[in-house]
Amino acid sequence: MQQLDNQEILMKLKSSKQFWDIKKKIKQGFSDQQKIGVNDIQKFAQSCEIEDQLIKLISHILKKSKKRETLKEDQIEFLNTSKIKWTELLFKNLDIVHQKTKNQEEDDTNTDSKLYIYDEKNLLAFLQTFKQQQSNNLYQNVQFQSNKILNINIPLKSSQSILDKYQYLLLQEELSDEKINKIRKQIENEHLDIELEKIAQTFVPNGERCLLYLKYFEFDHQDTVLQQHFVKLQKECLNQLFYDELLEIDGHEISEDTFYFVFQEQILTCLKCFIRDRTIKENIRIQLQSGIKKEHAEFQLPITGFFPFKNISKYVAPLCYLSTKIHIIYALFKEFFCRYFCFLHAISSESNSILSLCMQIEEIVSTRSPKLFHHLKVIGCDTLKLIIHQLVYCFIGDMDPPHILTIYDQIIGHDSLEILVILCVGFLNKYKSKLLLAKNQENVQQIFSELREDRFQELVQYAYKQ
Amino acid sequence: MSEYFRKYIKKEHYPNHQQLQRYMLLVLIQNLRLHLETAFQSKALKRRQWKEVEGDDWDIMWAEKEWIHEVMDHTHLQPNQKINHFRNHYELTRKDLMIKNLKRYKKNLEREGKNEEANNYNFFPQTFHLPSEYPIFCEEFKRQSQNGESKTPWIMKPIGKSQGKGIFIFNKLQSISQWKNTLRFNQEAQQAEAYIVQKYIADPLLIGGKKFDMRIYLLCTSYQPLTLYLYRTGFARFTHHRYDNEDISNTYVHLTNVAIQKTSDNYDEKLGGKWNIQTLKLFLMTKFGQEKVAETFYNIQMLMIRSLQAVQKIIINDKHCFELYGFDILLDATLKPWLLEVNASPSMTSNTPIDFELKCGLLDDVFTIIDLEKVLTGNEEQIGGFDLVCRGTPIKLPINSTFTTYLGSFNNRQQQLKKIAKSTAIRLAQIYQETQTKPIDNGSKNQKDEKEKQQRSTSKGPQTIQNGINNKLGMQPKQNSMIKRNGTNLPALGTIQNKNTVKRQPLQNAVQLQPPQIQSLNSNKKINPSEEQILTVNQKLQQLTQDNKLSTFQPYKQQSQYNDVMGMSNRNIQRDEE
Repeated sequence: MQQLDNQEILMKLKSSKQFWDIKKKIKQGFSDQQKIGVNDIQKFAQSCEIEDQLIKLISHILKKSKKRETLKEDQIEFLNTSKIKWTELLFKNLDIVHQKTKNQEEDDTNTDSKLYIYDEKNLLAFLQTFKQQQSNNLYQNVQFQSNKILNINIPLKSSQSILDKYQYLLLQEELSDEKINKIRKQIENEHLDIELEKIAQTFVPNGERCLLYLKYFEFDHQDTVLQQHFVKLQKECLNQLFYDELLEIDGHEISEDTFYFVFQEQILTCLKCFIRDRTIKENIRIQLQSGIKKEHAEFQLPITGFFPFKNISKYVAPLCYLSTKIHIIYALFKEFFCRYFCFLHAISSESNSILSLCMQIEEIVSTRSPKLFHHLKVIGCDTLKLIIHQLVYCFIGDMDPPHILTIYDQIIGHDSLEILVILCVGFLNKYKSKLLLAKNQENVQQIFSELREDRFQELVQYAYKQ
Repeated sequence: MSEYFRKYIKKEHYPNHQQLQRYMLLVLIQNLRLHLETAFQSKALKRRQWKEVEGDDWDIMWAEKEWIHEVMDHTHLQPNQKINHFRNHYELTRKDLMIKNLKRYKKNLEREGKNEEANNYNFFPQTFHLPSEYPIFCEEFKRQSQNGESKTPWIMKPIGKSQGKGIFIFNKLQSISQWKNTLRFNQEAQQAEAYIVQKYIADPLLIGGKKFDMRIYLLCTSYQPLTLYLYRTGFARFTHHRYDNEDISNTYVHLTNVAIQKTSDNYDEKLGGKWNIQTLKLFLMTKFGQEKVAETFYNIQMLMIRSLQAVQKIIINDKHCFELYGFDILLDATLKPWLLEVNASPSMTSNTPIDFELKCGLLDDVFTIIDLEKVLTGNEEQIGGFDLVCRGTPIKLPINSTFTTYLGSFNNRQQQLKKIAKSTAIRLAQIYQETQTKPIDNGSKNQKDEKEKQQRSTSKGPQTIQNGINNKLGMQPKQNSMIKRNGTNLPALGTIQNKNTVKRQPLQNAVQLQPPQIQSLNSNKKINPSEEQILTVNQKLQQLTQDNKLSTFQPYKQQSQYNDVMGMSNRNIQRDEE
């Protein structure tokens, strides 16, 4: 843990609005007195809870200065072994992909555009294998009657608490210009995480979002640093990697989206830099794949410590709506991935991990819409299979960019991916009546292949409909 | 509109009234003919059931610019014939003349002491005409390079050419003297080709690292009074290469013309390198916030109106003529719009299905506004995707309106056309009834004006169709204004009566055949034929407009600001209807 000296703490204090508010309060309290002693201030501070506030502020600063360690080992042993298995599986996939590209080089006519190491369906299929494994290991503890795909003993938040947490979104009203301007000023002046989170939870005005994100990630005065870092990475891109090819193929899908085709080139550049960025391994909050060293040089994990997967470009795309500077886009993407999106690909018992999120969704749907849950099970198209794409890719491509950015706001606001649970539940509820009429998987696919418009607010509302 | 009009009268509303139906169809399909000189999207015509003809017997001519120069001066046009260009449109659409006229108008304004308005004419870059202004240009160039502005490049554009042909960029006077010399020593070239040289806008707004410009459509139906309609949808055209300020020789980087970009290696056929204005607006709103974007779009609208005001006195006004202009507008990094060019014959070819729909809709709406069928009242403020932005003076939107301009807001043309079709059908039905029963009786002028006001309010705004209210309202008799129109400017009616294709029928019978709504209304009429009844109509109209306002004129914030661009609520309604 990194220690801050007093001077640094004071510096950080001064950058927060709350500090100045407190100072003002103290000044007001002593406005008529000539001499003020330290004891007086202490007494005054104790009497009107200023001391508590200060302590909270300082502890927050200290907490922030503490570097987050990358999670390597999970508390549940069986997930650790699973992670190793998952990594082995991916290495196998890599071999296949590698073989395919080689074949393609020999035979140009047969170009397979679907080259990837894994996609969300592979991931879900792998998670599904846990049930049987665990039931073998812990024979007595597992409920056999359960219809759920995933039923694993990991610590979970109660689904009701998640629903309660986001209920305030239902009551959101349109804000007046005055209030919006106030929020704008607040974003400009505020440096404190808690405050920024509060703003992100309620409403971020367009045009200020980039600043808020940068401040939250503490990038706001580092423009040149970010730029230099990016330029350095770009130079490294001159050395072709095998993964570049995969990323290029991946970019084609994004180029078919009206909203993002303009950014295809930028997205590709960002990703190429991303897989060469050495700092990711330290910054990422959770280790995605257990590094087994293979001897063959061609088949190494990228420097990042994990494989690029299908549709990784999707995570970059909405951020292109925030800045015209590519190094800013890259920095935001990197931070978003290292802090949040990595959990969507992690085999872990963490509350943000894909496993937990999936189980939360199943829990909520099976208790609140048992009919739908059962129906989907009967027609062989499980709930999770329906929404796994939306869940893993954060609804990118399913909603228009402004709505995606609202999701991002919520992720930052609560420092959590739980909003996706709400949205997925809402998504299922929205199409509930149609889904109940579907007789087989094809019907279901047909429902979702139709033109549809999903919106953030709408899905939240549907999520709370009984 | 005629599509909906036809459906409307055929299907639902007058099912038992064969003769009325026939009459209305006759009003509609006056065997309109269109004389085509250009390769043209014929689907827009087929939708209207118009025929393409050869020879001189036509109603509307969609001609190339050259045709106007050659033929129009010595052709006598029939009163109902329409042509898609003004006689001297080149005053606005030729690069050099446009600049000349804008400069002159600006000077005139300054001379008249209207400095404020003159200062608004700052939307074109510094421009010189070559070879005539070559010495002045050289002086200016040298002056700027002495001031250390030498790096700003200049762009050379040949006057007569389009689609980006012959354009090049330079930042050294040498490169242009080379160009000059080749012309001078080339004996075969009779005359030095006229060029304009413009200071290059070197800090354009880049999206995804790419340069883009906007194509926006403006329809002018008259220069006296200046009557302009602005189309809600346009598109942004992107270059296919990353923008690079240093590399001025690569035209792919700098020119956005589709004709140029098509030849690029990595041209994407599916999307054609285009965004529609709505997507662009969405991007800009997310990036810059909506206040700034609203301001920019308002500036764009004013830029367009101002450029037409500059040539208003020069263009020869002609009631036969109308013109659809394609404005090319560039945004710089501070979101200031710059006028690049005005096209009199904007390309009507399409390279993607979305493009095709856009242009078909655009043309269809142009034809509706031209109103060859003579079914409009002339007071509509929105027709299809077009909004009236200027009639004599620029039209200001109400203060409480959340819009500054409808440009780039959701294009609700289909709902709007259905609405116009409906009100028109009702009106024509009324005319029909009146002519069947009694001699023409001019309503009092007050009443007429009132009615016209109502007409205006009903066909306005981004509306959602509210069938319930509409049905009630739609059947209200509007005889007064009808009669007036009938008596004055609906010649079609006379011809039909003469031909006796429609049998006269006493009103009583007609009433029996009508659907119940009309019956009830007619009975209403008997009880209360005076002005009070008009009041109730008024109230209902008010109710309608108010309701419309409530449902669509939400503050331009959060969710609704987004809906205004992407038209979510409207889209849903449309789907329900279908």
